[in-house]
Amino acid sequence: MARIIEEQYVWRLPVRIYHWINALSIAVLFVTGIYMAFPIISPPVGEAVWYHRMAWVRYIHFGTAFIFIANFLFRLYWALFGNDRYGRFGGFKPWLPAWWGQPFKEQLASYLFLKKEEPDYCGHNPVAALTHFLFVFLGSWFMILTGLAMYGENNPGGFLDTMFGWVVLLFGSSLTMHTMHHLVAWVFPVYLILHLYAVVRHDIVNRSSITSSIITGYKNRVEECAEYAD
Amino acid sequence: MEKKETFAEVFEARGVKRRDFLKFCSLMSVYLGLAPTMVPRIVSAMEKKPRIPVIWLHGLECTCCSESFIRSSHPIVADIVLNMISLDYDDTLSAAAGFQLEEIRKKIMKEYKGKFILAVEGNVPLKDNGVYCTINGESFLDVLKETAADAMAVIAWGSCASFGCVQSARPNPTGATPVHKIIKNKPVVNVPGCPPIAEVMTGVITHFLTFGKLPDLDRLKRPKTFYGVRIHDKCERRPYFDAGMFVESFDDDGARKGWCLYKMGCKGPTTYNACSSIKWNEGVSFPIGSGHPCLGCSEPDFWDNGPFYTRRADVSFVGVNSNADKIGVVAVGAAAAGMAAHAIGTAIKKGTSESKTVETEED
Ligand code: HEM
Ligand code: SF4
Repeated sequence: MARIIEEQYVWRLPVRIYHWINALSIAVLFVTGIYMAFPIISPPVGEAVWYHRMAWVRYIHFGTAFIFIANFLFRLYWALFGNDRYGRFGGFKPWLPAWWGQPFKEQLASYLFLKKEEPDYCGHNPVAALTHFLFVFLGSWFMILTGLAMYGENNPGGFLDTMFGWVVLLFGSSLTMHTMHHLVAWVFPVYLILHLYAVVRHDIVNRSSITSSIITGYKNRVEECAEYAD
Repeated sequence: MEKKETFAEVFEARGVKRRDFLKFCSLMSVYLGLAPTMVPRIVSAMEKKPRIPVIWLHGLECTCCSESFIRSSHPIVADIVLNMISLDYDDTLSAAAGFQLEEIRKKIMKEYKGKFILAVEGNVPLKDNGVYCTINGESFLDVLKETAADAMAVIAWGSCASFGCVQSARPNPTGATPVHKIIKNKPVVNVPGCPPIAEVMTGVITHFLTFGKLPDLDRLKRPKTFYGVRIHDKCERRPYFDAGMFVESFDDDGARKGWCLYKMGCKGPTTYNACSSIKWNEGVSFPIGSGHPCLGCSEPDFWDNGPFYTRRADVSFVGVNSNADKIGVVAVGAAAAGMAAHAIGTAIKKGTSESKTVETEED
């Protein structure tokens, strides 16, 4: 049996709203993106001019992309300047050797079953922070930069083309850039699996109500109660 | 060498009618995207300015650029081309040959130092001291460097000279290297395509003659006028793309009706060229117009981005025999399997010990 000894307010409203907009827009971007690559629904009948199927899918992808970008930039602002103990970059300093020290090693060891204790962090644990950095932070930057460069191609010489055209040069050709945008898109479903598993697992192991915390904002700290010995 | 005649004088001598000459000038203004008011400027440049001497070098190439060039749709266009180069230096088209021809090259280089255009077709094999392409006993690398040193500007004709094309495709056995990677201290214009459209080639030279400078270039050093827009954005099949009506095989109903070739591997969405606007063979058609997907021949590394008839998303890369989605699905599968194994591990761990929760504070 466990008893809730403390309710902690961890995820503030802006962070929770960000989380869900992010989750939804990534889902939409992934589905529409894959559809653009594999437009499988059988073609409509009649005059092409009345149909905009592919055009709509692209339109939704681009519209959602701008929501995704705005949301991402907001989160970046919040992480850097927000007065939020758990939602800012704060302690995440992977360029310092110290960051990879005790807490990180312990958390990793615990995940790898090398250690019995399960550390329980209010915010993100160091391994989670690293995972978020690699998948969500870098992954989003990659998708945004390549995405905007591709979007700029629709209007050569326009604003986005001028601002982000250099990205094409990193890949050598537009085709390679498209292919890499497509490949890196898979980072998100992979992350989703790791993420959902880690959340549910923490909920069970630490009983911290981490799952509902992204809706309510509260995490519980629980204490094991002594069993009746009758 | 005698004083260079103007283009107009050459035309006259060849019996080209004035009317045809003016037609040519307006045609060029259209291709170059200039206002009608600019036509007189082109006419006057053609009449007054002496012809620009052009040295045309051939490196590792197949001569398809020259073939395309001499088939410019407008008869005068072809004339210009032939006059411009046969009088100067082109080792494929010149009547002279051997030492005699090399003499001519040296002579032009001396007499028009800093004033001639160097046109390069093909690229430079760098491996083994350049033995894979030699001219008159000299490596093409040396010839190119020597000639470029005195040139006003360098035009890289075709995908070979611009980006490397087939001879630099993996594994690039001869170390074939495009011109702009070798000539760094001269303005280089890339006019890619395998081959480039004849009118594009003449257009670049006309622009140079009229304005005395190279046309505006994009990031890959291509003239914006011709390489500014993707094939896809001016493609006549685009309404079918937007509607989602795709050819699924070359003999299906969609193919007969002229639907979009996206699923047949069309590289139009990532290819910058003027095929869908200027077209080929006197404006008759272009590959997509004739039912063939665009190969993306004017894009860097297009040989390595094949197969040609496979849609973009199915293209394998980095030497892996697997496309983006196969890699993605495997990664997702691996993640799921890993997590499942971890869940079992967690259950065992829970079963064997009471998990102790450590309270942690973070900054
Ligand atoms: C989580 C984020 C994203 C995912 C999962 C995603 C996924 C995809 C996928 C799978 C494709 C298809 C590539 C192909 O044809 O093979 C695609 C295309 C594209 N995406 Fe994204 N994308 C994301 C974000 C963005 C962003 C932020 C932009 C910025 C505007 C963007 C713009 C584009 C463009 C312009 C295309 C090409 C469409 C076309 O050529 O018709 N994407 N995306
Ligand atoms: S045929 Fe090719 S270039 Fe034309 S609309 Fe379809 S994909 Fe685009």
